[in-house]
Amino acid sequence: MTVTIVLVYQSLLGIYGDRGNATVLSKRLEWRGIDARVVVVEPGQTLPADAQVYLLGGGEDLAQTTAVRELTKDGNLFRAVDAGAAVFAVCAGYQICGTTFTIGERDEVVGGLGLLDVETRRGDVRAVGEILYRWTKPDGSTSLVTGFENHGGFTRLGPDARPLGVVEKGIGNGYDGSEGAQQGKVVATYPHGPVLARNPELADHVLELALGRTLDPLPHPEIDELRRQRIAAVRASRAR
Amino acid sequence: MAAMAVDLSIPRSPHRLPALVKARLALALAAGSLAGAASRLARRGSGASIRGQLLMKVAPDALANLLPGRTIATVSGTNGKTTTTHLLTAAVRSAIGPGRVVTNADGANLHYGIASALAVAPGRDVAILETDERVVPDVVRLGKPAVLVLLNFSRDQMDRNHEIKALGRGWRDALVRAGETGPVVVANAADPLVVWAARSAPKVVWVDTATAWTQDFSLCPECGTMLTRTDGHWACPTGDLVQPEATWRVDGDAVVDPDGTRWELGLQVPGAFNVSNAACALAAAAELGIDPETAIRGMRGVTSPAGRYATAHFGSTTARLLLAKNPAGWAEALPLTTTDTIVLAIDSAAADGRDVSWLWDVEYEQLAGRHVIATGPRAQDLSVRLLYAEVEHSVVPDLATAMAGHADPVDVVATYTPFQRLRKLGGLA
Ligand SMILES: [Zn+2]
Repeated sequence: MTVTIVLVYQSLLGIYGDRGNATVLSKRLEWRGIDARVVVVEPGQTLPADAQVYLLGGGEDLAQTTAVRELTKDGNLFRAVDAGAAVFAVCAGYQICGTTFTIGERDEVVGGLGLLDVETRRGDVRAVGEILYRWTKPDGSTSLVTGFENHGGFTRLGPDARPLGVVEKGIGNGYDGSEGAQQGKVVATYPHGPVLARNPELADHVLELALGRTLDPLPHPEIDELRRQRIAAVRASRAR
Repeated sequence: MAAMAVDLSIPRSPHRLPALVKARLALALAAGSLAGAASRLARRGSGASIRGQLLMKVAPDALANLLPGRTIATVSGTNGKTTTTHLLTAAVRSAIGPGRVVTNADGANLHYGIASALAVAPGRDVAILETDERVVPDVVRLGKPAVLVLLNFSRDQMDRNHEIKALGRGWRDALVRAGETGPVVVANAADPLVVWAARSAPKVVWVDTATAWTQDFSLCPECGTMLTRTDGHWACPTGDLVQPEATWRVDGDAVVDPDGTRWELGLQVPGAFNVSNAACALAAAAELGIDPETAIRGMRGVTSPAGRYATAHFGSTTARLLLAKNPAGWAEALPLTTTDTIVLAIDSAAADGRDVSWLWDVEYEQLAGRHVIATGPRAQDLSVRLLYAEVEHSVVPDLATAMAGHADPVDVVATYTPFQRLRKLGGLA
């Protein structure tokens, strides 16, 4: 079987190197001998309804509302989630997965995709910088997630969504020291761009949700060294 | 009403500075040249930028005093403004000789960089100024430039510029405010945000740069609808913004002027991107009354603007230096590299952008089969990118070590901060 990874609206939701997450997921499958392909879908094109993973990246306000409108009209993302596909959303992609979010100077409230029980409103500061959070995995063990966040919205979780982890450095969801959200197989986090490159366990978590089975770890000293450097750098930086 | 034609044959006299400002400037410059010398000794920062920063501190209105009375052409955009400024300066010098022309050739393009260049050239009445995207509104307001060249907008330093459209809005508002007294705008018709910003100017000269990079623009800046692209031309389906008909256009390695004459450029600066830059410089030169033949003669003498494309020596190693500041810049630079071993230098200082996510928007996959040396403070981020691109590489974080001991010439592509360090290490700056 070939695992299909859909990069949703790359030209709208991909301003922070978010395609990197597709590269990371497909390579981690290939390196384990599992066939994978990345399908890039642009607005106006129909999303495949039978893929295993859907990726939503970062984008500006206008791009967010266009993406919600097009995805709602298309409908295949909802069908895929109902059929058991995994969704991994970052930054603006995280916000549009929620029930509502705000855009523009006048904080206009816009309806989201409703895949996550979260609401996003403008925060009292803009969160820009390295972020470090402790992610609690489904088995109860924890792992550090390192990345770079750049967002103006703060996100409040409703009862159906649970946070991914607790912020050690940075802003994250903004209201309560939590970061990210997961609800079923929809996983979302603020650190944008190639966050999965720095966090292979999070990448494999998304793949395990999509495949419905566990995967053996892939040792890569380059990634271990990058994690060591970034975690040390963010811990040495002044508190924000 | 057409903007008033520029006649460079009649020298103008730059405004004299009020005595008080002059005294303050003199003081600032005296203090600044000391600091400049100190900084050169300390080998950090250029003397000019330290001098300029001091100048702006002591005389914050320096720019308002130094700009008026000159014939000004200003060049802005995310990528290519240093090279385009050098090309345009060479064209102007070719026409009127070097004696009357001042430019900020070192790429210091903020308020203090421009002020610093002008302050040491009080008698020079023609100024060709590279201008940071954020500074364009001030230069338009204070300097009343004759010509404004707007090259492109690209994602760059997103940790600081959250929405690039805000920069475009700044340009547009400045041009609207200037109205009939505003500059003739020479604008890249291939870039939707440039077009959106420029079209409010009374006179725009559109240049079809045949730009290949389209990844930064998918939505109409006016209404947010997805742009369509047919035969290399973009349009908003609502019809509120379409690619304008250009009078100048790039055709392969040549530029076609409004009369349909095809000019072979024969530049020394490489790549299709620089043909686009030259097309904009030629159109700007024409607005200054300079014919293409004279302009091109000058432009052919440009070799390595502020160190770009320069050959440097690091001990026994010979290296060519290429600058790439963002995905669009990397997409231009990587295909220019030819050596088997290639050095890539990455940093995330303020001038590089603190977020290196952009590494994943660059197709490093094209380097497969060559050996890459990843260097600079963020070499490890590049290493992981290259791991996933399946490109063979080694990590040598220290720049000098990475450059040492290559028997064959190497091409180096660097982000802004390591590029400046390499210029110094290689004896170029
Ligand atoms: Zn439109």
